[in-house]
Amino acid sequence: MNAFLKIAVLCSFSVYAWSSEVKLEKVTLENDVPAIERGAETLMNACHSCHGMKYIKYRDLLTFGMNKQKVDGWRADQSLDAPLLAQMSENDAMLAFAKVPPDLSLMTKARDGGVNYLYSYLLGYYTTAEGVTGNHIFPETKMPDPLGISGAATPEQRTEIQGQARDIVSFLAWAADPHEAERIRLGYYVIAYLLALTTLLYFVKKQIWSRLK
Amino acid sequence: MEKENPSVGNRRNFLIKLTSVVGGAGVAATCVPFVASMNPSSDVLAKAETDVDLSGIPPGGMHTVAWQGKPVFVLHRTPEQIKASAESNGGIDPEPDSKRVINPEWLVVVGVCTHMGCVPNKEGPGWECHCHGSQYDDSGRVVRGPAPKNLEVPPYRFAADNKIIIGKA
Amino acid sequence: MPSRIIEWIDQRFPLTSFVKHDLTDYPTPRNLSYWWNFGFLAGIVLVLQVATGIFLAMHYKADVAVSFDSIQHIMRDVNYGWLLRYMHATGASAFFFVIFIHMARTLYYGSYRAPRELLWWTGQGLLLLLMATAFMGYLLPWGQMSFWGATVITNLFRATPFIGDQVVIWLRGDYTVGDATLTRFFALHYLFPFLIIGGVLIHLVALHSVKSSNPSGIDLAAKDNIPFHPYFTIKDLYGLGVFLIVYSVFVFFMPDSLIEPANNIPANPMQTPNHIVPEWYFLPFYAILRSVPNMVGGVVAMGLSVMMFAFMPFLDRSRIPGGARYRPLYRLQYYLFLLDMLVLGYVGYVHPTDQTILVGQIATLCYFASFFFVPFISKMEERWLIKRGLPAEVVTLMKSESLEIEKRKLKHSRHNGVKS
Repeated sequence: MNAFLKIAVLCSFSVYAWSSEVKLEKVTLENDVPAIERGAETLMNACHSCHGMKYIKYRDLLTFGMNKQKVDGWRADQSLDAPLLAQMSENDAMLAFAKVPPDLSLMTKARDGGVNYLYSYLLGYYTTAEGVTGNHIFPETKMPDPLGISGAATPEQRTEIQGQARDIVSFLAWAADPHEAERIRLGYYVIAYLLALTTLLYFVKKQIWSRLK
Repeated sequence: MEKENPSVGNRRNFLIKLTSVVGGAGVAATCVPFVASMNPSSDVLAKAETDVDLSGIPPGGMHTVAWQGKPVFVLHRTPEQIKASAESNGGIDPEPDSKRVINPEWLVVVGVCTHMGCVPNKEGPGWECHCHGSQYDDSGRVVRGPAPKNLEVPPYRFAADNKIIIGKA
Repeated sequence: MPSRIIEWIDQRFPLTSFVKHDLTDYPTPRNLSYWWNFGFLAGIVLVLQVATGIFLAMHYKADVAVSFDSIQHIMRDVNYGWLLRYMHATGASAFFFVIFIHMARTLYYGSYRAPRELLWWTGQGLLLLLMATAFMGYLLPWGQMSFWGATVITNLFRATPFIGDQVVIWLRGDYTVGDATLTRFFALHYLFPFLIIGGVLIHLVALHSVKSSNPSGIDLAAKDNIPFHPYFTIKDLYGLGVFLIVYSVFVFFMPDSLIEPANNIPANPMQTPNHIVPEWYFLPFYAILRSVPNMVGGVVAMGLSVMMFAFMPFLDRSRIPGGARYRPLYRLQYYLFLLDMLVLGYVGYVHPTDQTILVGQIATLCYFASFFFVPFISKMEERWLIKRGLPAEVVTLMKSESLEIEKRKLKHSRHNGVKS
């Protein structure tokens, strides 16, 4: 019994140690077409030169309902069925950062903390008094501050950048799971159906078992 | 059990029937995603259109392009070929040439023999299928069996004078 | 007309007698609780896994260059591919969840006791097959966790005496987990479910020979048995409805909660993720592996920890029926064991620190001790309970059980006598 007491104490200690990691900011995503289109636009300007999204094709953006002119502007002379590859080649990226910037197609699913992690990371840049820029979510990052949060002087600027970060993350969340909306919609129907069926089965069961007396 | 009053028995019967129907409908609905998953996926459907540049095809020349994975013959017909095609009505599956072309200079047909699905070869006037010997004229109409039908004309449209798009818009 | 068709079949195939023997006349104890639903549920999950698996295999490609892409193809392009894949991934967890409860019920009510040892052992074999199938399936998405999980688990076989390194290379078909490994895992992942189906049939034949156990722990008189159909078909279906609701909540609303984030990054043989963990259902056994400081010892301990359950019919010496129901000490031991499993699971999940390694070692000792002390505790408990005086119902149960055993022995020897 003593051993279990000890284990319980130690467990609560480890949980305490565990929770002392960096706190992530919570983000509420918007999943309507305009927000995701804004996110795509910001991403094409701020991220797309280095980061690709190889599982997303320009056609997917159109199918989702984005503005055709904007999509045509982004793809230039590439085909609609071309994936959103990075503008920078992998070799150039290796030369510049000694690392290929990761593909963003699945980014919101590929990190612990998901969308909150990405949001906090994008807003996690700061500048020290000596003028050195760092990121307190991912200190080893090689990526320069993409949205300029470290240089934001006024609260208005900060709010604007927060909005941009939220849009980008909304877009990335859609890109990682394009069928999410459909899945949840179908889910409600399935659960409603199963509740009805299970209720019926419950009454049938009751009736059949009532034959045993 | 035999002593039950009949109305109770009816209600039970109805409840079991209703539950069976609801449950059966659920099983049937569950089959839908499984069956649907065997249909062409969205990336395959996206390839439903093929652009063809006509400027490189000389009169009398033919290009074979892939549309939905199938060969499509794009034949630049000479005035003689146009004339010969317009005069005849085909053989086994009669059809006027005018119904098979948008611009008589250009014949666009799916290059799959309507008999057993081989690809016919361009030989002399028209095509000959080497699998079973069917022959087609320069309008893609079958002139000798065993093929039962003329070569299929795919949906296509002229995007410009020298460019067509094969496939539904 | 239908009766004539059935007659025609019956002359050639024992259809009616089969339905009678195994459904409409199959005697089932009427006192079975809902804990007895989980065997049926496991069967349904098996069917779901095979069905979704076959349809996924129509789109999946086993090749290190395109496996990860083909999963994304399924998730994005294939019609309802996301549904099939989420059903399959969630189904793996559901399978273990259902099987663990099925096993926990057996342990609680002592259903492994004579004459059900073979039933229990075929179940143990099915558990091993299930674990192997799940492990091989986990490599197929070719994500970081897939790759490193397969690397670690195949490396376990280095503990084989003398030829360990060769065995590992033979298993992988390469010096590391590579294309050859992926292809053979796919082949076997497709094959094993059919072995499981075969195993389930044997399990069912064994069950229908010894019949279901029940909460009272001994075989009941004929008057307490009711036909399986319709009473338990409807009870099982009702349970299935409840199960499917829980399953659907996971499939439709939180499917990624059961997929490690690192597995959304393509496998990279040059870099191990910082935190590698197996799927939740392997965590307790993984914790035992990590708790033993010696490599061979750890592997042996882990293997034993899975196999320990098979020894229960020998370890449990008590003649008191009803498993934990009439046995307070065994009951206490049972709950402590479950708690120990949870602790091990937790230790297996967290990043190892000095504290958690110590906790893991204590929990590992408790794990094996729980089995080791079963014979002594069960015997002691039996003496104590008999001295204290058993409830009258238990005494009757015990008497009828020993009578039953005598009868069976007699019948068996008579049967043999006739033969010779």
